[in-house]
Amino acid sequence: MSDNKEQKGKEPASKNVGTTALAEPKLTSVGHETRRIDGPLKVTGSAVYTSDHNFPNMVYAVPVGATISNGKITKLETSEAEKMPGVHAIFHRENIGQLYRVAPDTDFSAYTDEPRPAFEDDIIRHFGQYVAVAIADTFEQATAAAHAVKVTYAEDKPNVSAALTADTPVKVESKRGDAEGAFAKAPIKIDETYSTPTETHNVIELHATVAVFDGTNFTLYETTQGVVNHKNVLVQVLGVQPENVKVISKFLGSGFGSKISPWSHCAIAAGAARKLNRPVKLVLSRKQSFHSVGHRPRTQQHVRIGAEPNGRLVSIQQDYMNHTSMLDDYKENCGECTSYLYSVPNLKLTASLSRRNIGTPTSMRGPGAVPGLFATESAMDELAVKLKMDPVQLRILNEPQIDEGLNIPFASRHLIGCYKQGADLFGWSQRDPRVGSMKRDGLTLGWGTAGASWIAERFPASVMVQLHDDGTARVASATQDIGTGTYTVFAQVVGDKLGIPLNKVDVVLGDTSLPSGPLSGGSMGIASIIPATSKAIEQAVGTVLLAAVKTPSSKYFNAKKDELALTNGRVHRKDQYSKDGVPFEEILKIANLNNVSGSGSSASTFGQKKQQSFHSYGAHFVEVTWQEELARLRISRVVTVIDAGKIMNPKTGRNQIEGAIVMGIGMALFEGTEYEPTKGAPLNSSLADYIVTVNADMPKLDVHFLEVPNTELNEYGARGIGEIGLAGMAPAIANAVYHATGIRVRNLPIRIEDLLTEQA
Amino acid sequence: MAQDSDVGANTKSAVPGALPVNLTINKKSYSIAVDPRTSLLDCIRENLTITGTKKGCDHGQCGACTVLVNGRRINSCLTLAIMHDGDEITTVEGLGSVENLHPLQEAFVECDAYQCGYCTSGQLMSAAALLTENCGHKDEDVREAMSGNICRCGAYANIVSAIQSVRTKS
Repeated sequence: MSDNKEQKGKEPASKNVGTTALAEPKLTSVGHETRRIDGPLKVTGSAVYTSDHNFPNMVYAVPVGATISNGKITKLETSEAEKMPGVHAIFHRENIGQLYRVAPDTDFSAYTDEPRPAFEDDIIRHFGQYVAVAIADTFEQATAAAHAVKVTYAEDKPNVSAALTADTPVKVESKRGDAEGAFAKAPIKIDETYSTPTETHNVIELHATVAVFDGTNFTLYETTQGVVNHKNVLVQVLGVQPENVKVISKFLGSGFGSKISPWSHCAIAAGAARKLNRPVKLVLSRKQSFHSVGHRPRTQQHVRIGAEPNGRLVSIQQDYMNHTSMLDDYKENCGECTSYLYSVPNLKLTASLSRRNIGTPTSMRGPGAVPGLFATESAMDELAVKLKMDPVQLRILNEPQIDEGLNIPFASRHLIGCYKQGADLFGWSQRDPRVGSMKRDGLTLGWGTAGASWIAERFPASVMVQLHDDGTARVASATQDIGTGTYTVFAQVVGDKLGIPLNKVDVVLGDTSLPSGPLSGGSMGIASIIPATSKAIEQAVGTVLLAAVKTPSSKYFNAKKDELALTNGRVHRKDQYSKDGVPFEEILKIANLNNVSGSGSSASTFGQKKQQSFHSYGAHFVEVTWQEELARLRISRVVTVIDAGKIMNPKTGRNQIEGAIVMGIGMALFEGTEYEPTKGAPLNSSLADYIVTVNADMPKLDVHFLEVPNTELNEYGARGIGEIGLAGMAPAIANAVYHATGIRVRNLPIRIEDLLTEQA
Repeated sequence: MAQDSDVGANTKSAVPGALPVNLTINKKSYSIAVDPRTSLLDCIRENLTITGTKKGCDHGQCGACTVLVNGRRINSCLTLAIMHDGDEITTVEGLGSVENLHPLQEAFVECDAYQCGYCTSGQLMSAAALLTENCGHKDEDVREAMSGNICRCGAYANIVSAIQSVRTKS
């Protein structure tokens, strides 16, 4: 990890132990374009992902999925499969050993969206539900054996209907004033229903488990967004003690929420390993990835907005529902941003669930906010059209002074700043609001905008830092880098605090034997790890300074610890510059210490009662081109401005937002899992039929950060940015499509046929 | 960034019906017997435990398994190992190493042309092939030629920048 470009910055980000050290320039990469420290491993195939693990005597597991989505297994014939070459076992409900349910969880410490373990009963509730697993010496043998397992079902008609109905009591999620009354009297009304389809995460790394069992202990190589949560869930499912399970996830091929919590295949692999006393590798197929590893559920949202002719909002109502599975109550919280996004005296949000014969849904990047904002930000655009008002103006006019949902002040809100900077960069003032009026090179242009918001929170975190006698630092925490750049930001924080280059920082993550770290979810990783790392470093540095004053051969022997500081990697007197001091490793060497360590923890803010409303914000500006004669719609240009506090690493940070825009293009134009009504199977369960954005779809991207740090969550004022870029992207595109074509598409994805049929 | 080193060999027992095949992978020769059903991808990853090449769909739809066969890029999941007797195969491990990165690998790191890194091996092998193909100079030409490789993290802009920076230099 030697090729990171360090830059000298003058930011006073590094707090020294004590307070009166001389001010001097400090070595730091925080806030500078910094290469990923794990980059060389990723580009050489040396980064080890779950399914890259191979062990002596390892066998392969291929699950057998139900071919119906509602009914009961009446017969499971395994004898033919068991006799096939290389087959060790066909496991199912009768013979895999007990797998337990997961107890209800309230704090994401042992959380799963699907508490039912595999094979718990013979009832089939969704297509692809695991009914058995074939174990053989090779993947080919196991695949053949899985196909040879004969399952007979008593089949009932499934319900996978996309027309959602409230199957659970309608719950009021937020309420102020009299939304119904105000809407009835409002002079200007928008009253529309919007829907977003089932979206499948389709992470390119297939879900996988490699389970190793030594007779007592499990080592589970997993692809997970939370090694600690994963372990705590598997401990329960396997019915074993915490000390007997270790979860490793050094690298994972992203998650987008689908790897937040374990799915039932994980315990199938572990259960098989326990039965056979052999390592078991289980890699789901792409097709299976559409069945039993979560998805963003379909949403249906009835939005009513009342306004004055001058554009002032008088009421917002958002009645939303999403499908969930037969057993689990996964709620897509579409009202996530609605209660605080605009100033409106009357508001009511309600939620309910629709039960379907579909696998359990889960969080997908920006859960709740992302589909919710599609509805509300589309509706705001419809209102702007009706009012003949500029959509940016409409938003500025209705900017709230406080969070009116919680009646508390905003900690940091610069949404209007995002709109203003984005509008300038985009050239929004040149927009002619008339539909189809703007042309370029024979194409019709559409310009649209929408706002974004996402929570700013912290999970609990513990971190250990060691300073070694070779001048390196090691920082360790049981969290993981899902591709967001956690390894690198960890190194940047340690490098910044100690004033040492990144190539002297070793970051160790993805292993439950390390101090418990945060989930990589909710865009909380960065904010969560900084305070704990800071405390750990403070403790380790304190010990180095103590060694400096207590070691007889030290230059600082018998000095007072308080007179010393550690800056730019060197121990020095506070009244002298660090260049006159001694490298910390020299102190350790003369004291004959291999290393000194420090530990730090910080608490969660998530779910706690708030004094201030803390979110990130953003604004998207989108240009589409529309070629009516060919019905060819392209996205040509996107300008996005994000208000997410301090950006620790602009290189990886910009990439996060750009990647979210790419996913937003998919959400707006391509993505949607379709269920076939007679068998309930996802029809387009492949990457050829479930379309995601590819390189050729790329518009010109221009991403900016406002960078207004708020230090409530951590001293740098940094917060996570993994999700905010996807929020608001789909409505910005839909609004641009309306501007180009005059067609308002309220059901994602926007298909060419939407633009054709409504025109005819 | 310490990783467990147990990526090691998987000592497979002999498979009934296995057929011999000679493969040259990254200039090293391998003479092995494989199940005729084994894809080139699974042969490389599971039989030979050269794991830099990734499986993302097993249907030739994502490009994560792209390797060079006799200099040409292919989806290694869409072809059987036994069909490649005598072929020269290059995987990402053959492109360069951590100590000695290929210019494309260097450019991917510099341009942050990845996030999670899982599709990266395939992107790099497609890019390596692209350098030898008749591809136009414009960014949109590169985008088209790289559209068989899905990056769900969406690092497409940086992938194009990385490839173009290498093409400009050469």
